[in-house]
Amino acid sequence: MDISVLQTLASRNLWGAITPEILLGGLALVLLVIELLFPKEHGRIVPVAALVGLVTILGGVLFNAPSAYLNQETFNGLLVHTHGGQVMRVFFLLAAIMVCVIARVSLAKQTLPRVEFYHIVLVVTAAMMLLAQSNHLVLFFVALETVTIGLYILVSYYRTSLTLEAGLKYLVMGALSSSLMLFGIVLLYGVAGNPALPAHTAQSMHYGQLAAFLAANPHNFLASIGIVLVLAGVAFKIGAFPFQIWVPDVYQGAPTPVTAFLAVSSKAVGFTALLALAGTVFASYAWLVAPVLTFFAATTLLFGNFAALTQHNVKRLIGLSGVSHAGFLLLGVAAVSRAPMAVGAIYFYLFAYLLASFAVFGVMAHVAGANDADQELDHYAGLAKDRPFLALVLALGLGSLAGIPPLVGFMGKLFIFIAAFQAGLYGLLAIAVIGVVVSIYYYFGWIKAAFFETWGKSADAPAHPARTPVDFVTGFALSALALAVVVLGFYQGPLGVWLSAR
Amino acid sequence: MAQFLFLLFAIFTVLCAVGVVVNKNAVNASICLILCLVGVAGLFVQLDAYLLAFVLLLVYAGAVAALFLFIVMLLDVQGKETFGLRGIRTIAGFVAFALLLAGIGSVALKGQIVSSPPVSVAGGAQLKLYAYQLFTTYLLPVQIIGFLLLISMLGVIVLSKKHEITEDAP
Repeated sequence: MDISVLQTLASRNLWGAITPEILLGGLALVLLVIELLFPKEHGRIVPVAALVGLVTILGGVLFNAPSAYLNQETFNGLLVHTHGGQVMRVFFLLAAIMVCVIARVSLAKQTLPRVEFYHIVLVVTAAMMLLAQSNHLVLFFVALETVTIGLYILVSYYRTSLTLEAGLKYLVMGALSSSLMLFGIVLLYGVAGNPALPAHTAQSMHYGQLAAFLAANPHNFLASIGIVLVLAGVAFKIGAFPFQIWVPDVYQGAPTPVTAFLAVSSKAVGFTALLALAGTVFASYAWLVAPVLTFFAATTLLFGNFAALTQHNVKRLIGLSGVSHAGFLLLGVAAVSRAPMAVGAIYFYLFAYLLASFAVFGVMAHVAGANDADQELDHYAGLAKDRPFLALVLALGLGSLAGIPPLVGFMGKLFIFIAAFQAGLYGLLAIAVIGVVVSIYYYFGWIKAAFFETWGKSADAPAHPARTPVDFVTGFALSALALAVVVLGFYQGPLGVWLSAR
Repeated sequence: MAQFLFLLFAIFTVLCAVGVVVNKNAVNASICLILCLVGVAGLFVQLDAYLLAFVLLLVYAGAVAALFLFIVMLLDVQGKETFGLRGIRTIAGFVAFALLLAGIGSVALKGQIVSSPPVSVAGGAQLKLYAYQLFTTYLLPVQIIGFLLLISMLGVIVLSKKHEITEDAP
């Protein structure tokens, strides 16, 4: 091998472009070293090290925005560094920070290894960040599998029978969805590489090349099967309607921080993929993609909200309400092709969802007992009297998820609705409004459980598990979330500009 | 000759695949799965995809399916349970069969690939080309898979090892 090969290699694989992801991987390895070096105190050091590292990397990403590689393809076209990719990088880092904060509270109630949890969270986050910038189906699939396999482990981390059941269900459904998606990818690869068709290409996994091929063959039968299969695989990940069956059981069985991770980050992964694929690569197949997305959005909105009505376990409730949030986001995705502002609206909605969800999950981690799957609405009785701070954070989070006017969730829904209106999706919009009205009922049932006395219970016997006291780090994080939920509802300012910039 | 070989391997593969499904004994089903993969490898050889054929034999037939067999024998699963075709299961079976037929039919009718003889050898066809691509163009996915294997290994340890608490919870 001569030196020129190495030179071209170095000029194409620009490792500097993915410094945050490399640092995250390094940090994950450092955590394992810490466990080796400090066998006695690592339970205390590791969460702090993970949090400090994540905050530092987040600061670095924000400080270096806009990145030097913006709108540039690196790694032989495997990655493309867009503005949206930067936004999602920040999103996944924020989510990872909050997952680690909640995990500190939740893991303290279990006698389980700690280091591996944080390690897997960091690696999965790095994979999510790469996925948000992927420009090639090979990298997309590899990163997606890293995310999914990490989540299989995290879901069954507590090793109780319910947790293991959830893990097994997630494994089987995840494998099914991955194989559907892979089958779709293979069909697209095969069709786009067929020399008999116009605009065929040897690099048919590359998004740009694939889009060019699809534009030249707008009604290819095999390609359309491939597109539907890929969309179905993504729909599994976001829990859209026909593919949502795993959501309640897995959300209930998974540990609370992992449920949060699934609900926020894993869903956001699906939507970044959907934006990249449905919005740009499959754009010339709008005749096919638009009805599929419309069907997903309408059924998901209806199913998520009506199924959540009857739930008493808060984890199942938040899981099914998460399905309905996926429906709102799908409404945004369906609007992308005709209303360009929808992309910014989706990013804003995702951030609003992140803030409110983690506020709620943070409170859930404090209220839950040692049996993590058993979190009933009744356990919240008297929370306002007992822990006014937690009750306030819960009320703000739930209010924002329901979309009550001054809070950030309302603005998120408003932007999505405006985009849908501009795109002319009036039918979907009507269904979404019905969904909002229904969702207020179950969110306020939860708030009612926390704020108002429940009748028919003896006052002296506490019917709920012991509530964890709020420590400084968690208190700070939860206050910041609650504050952001309120302030961003009034004033979107530079954040709104940044999110909706193209 | 090529036609004959194709038919031979194709019929062999389909018969073995049917064997996987209908065999009541899990060990026999696993062996049928291995034979089915051997048949598919033979089809790949006919398509000049030698590397793919060998990878299929080594990884899937050699390692994965043999591991299935090993686990089945370890757990001592007996094929006692018989699935009766009753009620909703029958309906579901018929619906799935109809869907499968519709899928095959539609692909056969509309999905015919008009192909000319291949102009160039695909990147993954030869071992040297494949390895070169793997460590130049696709270096980043290879690195990610390294982390993927690391977390799967950690996951196996975490989920199966007995944990003794050594430190106070923070």
